[in-house]
Amino acid sequence: MTTRLRTADSRLPGGIRAWGRRHAFSLLSSLGTLVRQPIASAMTVMVLAVALCLPTGLWVALDNASHLGQDWEHLDTLSVFLDGGVDDQQAMRLSSRLSAWDEITAVDPISPSEGLSELAGQMGLGEAVAAIEDNPLPWVLEVTPMTASVLPELARRLQREEGVESVIVDLQWLERLAAMIEVIRQLTILLALLFAAAVAFVVGNTIRMDIHNRREEIEVMALVGATRGFIRRPFLYSGLWYGLAGGLLAWVLVRLALVVLAGPVEVLGGTYDAELGLRPLSPRLSLALVLGSGALGVIGSWLAVDRHLRRIQL
Amino acid sequence: MVVFEHVAKRYPGGMQALKDVSFHLEKGELAFLTGHSGAGKSTLLRLIALLERPSRGQVLFDGRNVGKAARRHIPGLRRRIGIIFQDHRLLSDRRVFDNVALPLVIAGAPYPEIQRRVRAVLDKVGLLDKERMYPPMLSGGEQQRVGIARAIIGKPPLILADEPTGNLDPELSADLMQFFMQLNELGTTVLIASHDLELIRRLRRRVLVLRDGQLIDDVPARVEASAS
Repeated sequence: MTTRLRTADSRLPGGIRAWGRRHAFSLLSSLGTLVRQPIASAMTVMVLAVALCLPTGLWVALDNASHLGQDWEHLDTLSVFLDGGVDDQQAMRLSSRLSAWDEITAVDPISPSEGLSELAGQMGLGEAVAAIEDNPLPWVLEVTPMTASVLPELARRLQREEGVESVIVDLQWLERLAAMIEVIRQLTILLALLFAAAVAFVVGNTIRMDIHNRREEIEVMALVGATRGFIRRPFLYSGLWYGLAGGLLAWVLVRLALVVLAGPVEVLGGTYDAELGLRPLSPRLSLALVLGSGALGVIGSWLAVDRHLRRIQL
Repeated sequence: MVVFEHVAKRYPGGMQALKDVSFHLEKGELAFLTGHSGAGKSTLLRLIALLERPSRGQVLFDGRNVGKAARRHIPGLRRRIGIIFQDHRLLSDRRVFDNVALPLVIAGAPYPEIQRRVRAVLDKVGLLDKERMYPPMLSGGEQQRVGIARAIIGKPPLILADEPTGNLDPELSADLMQFFMQLNELGTTVLIASHDLELIRRLRRRVLVLRDGQLIDDVPARVEASAS
């Protein structure tokens, strides 16, 4: 006498339009829940926004720093210090010979006296320098390479030239900057992953409390024949709204921070005689931030709802 | 419509709520389920509505073994049963209208239809002017009627009522029973758990009597003539 239930029984009547109407109901009821508890919702959104701000802000800072590096790369020059015994004629000869090299764009010879006056000007030591009878500076050739990529190789070649005392590549700080940016980039990715998890957990926890508060409603819905999907859906929508709102607010906060920082950065750039403009968030990053946050919200609430519906045993 | 075959229900912790209960409830029948409190009335109703599963035996609804129904079949089954609870189980933060509309919303009915049917059913239970109120603003009897409206709006073939007259005065209780009779005359199968023996006796319908989890009596419906 054991008759199995037919599958058709559990299917809801009405097809796609009924499905759409049920979705519309879930969507509206989830919005209603958020609006009915504005302070709690706002606080959750705020937590999400702050959590998202950190990796996003770091990413924007990084983006700006790496562009800074790119802008300055063409300014790289090599300073070739010649032996102290090299006289003016030898120096000029070497200078013209080097300018014929393929990888060199220009050679700017600086005589010891030019070097001394430049130094005196820079350091405001005019009188002190004038007092030095014997100029201790050697000839220096300022070499501008074609591209920054040949710098290390070029430096080695120049070092082997006769009469060259030392080659100073002012590249190290750039390499350091690039290395630092790489470290921070990795750190940003790690932080982004951590904070993404945090967003999912915060939303999950909020939804968990929401489920707890609406336990009675869930039970009543199940009693009158709601499917698990129907019960779950408003919570998933809530998670989506939390995520989207958090992402949007984070975007606004980062934008605000950029506006606030724009002035000081300009002043800073002014001291270097450089125009430092802050690059805003790219549209792609903005979209990824908001949509990614929304997706994380859905994931977080899914985990919470699934666990709890199973516990209520509906 | 509902068949119990040697059904036993033991709750975790050892409480034996039902022992070897067997009966048939035919389609279109109206029956009362009575017995002292703790006799197993609620458990019996909960087994039909799939709120519990039997420890032994079979519960059949519409010829199907509900005790073995997969979880995904449960919502569909519950939609074919209207349940009225003693404690109403209404959503206190939703208006009367929304409470009654819930089964139709779950079924995905279009809004104009929901509106029409909710109004019709609220009119039937005499609460049309209360549709915009919240359940806590209503009296116990009114709340009970909201629960009834919600149970019957989906036009289920089976109505289960757990102590529907539990906290109503005698006059309201009699009215309510008349209402169930009317539903029954329109073809709905009704099973009412109640300990209002006086009222039950007057209505001369079939009575199932539980004591300590066992079905000790099954009094058939009496024809008017033979009763007098």
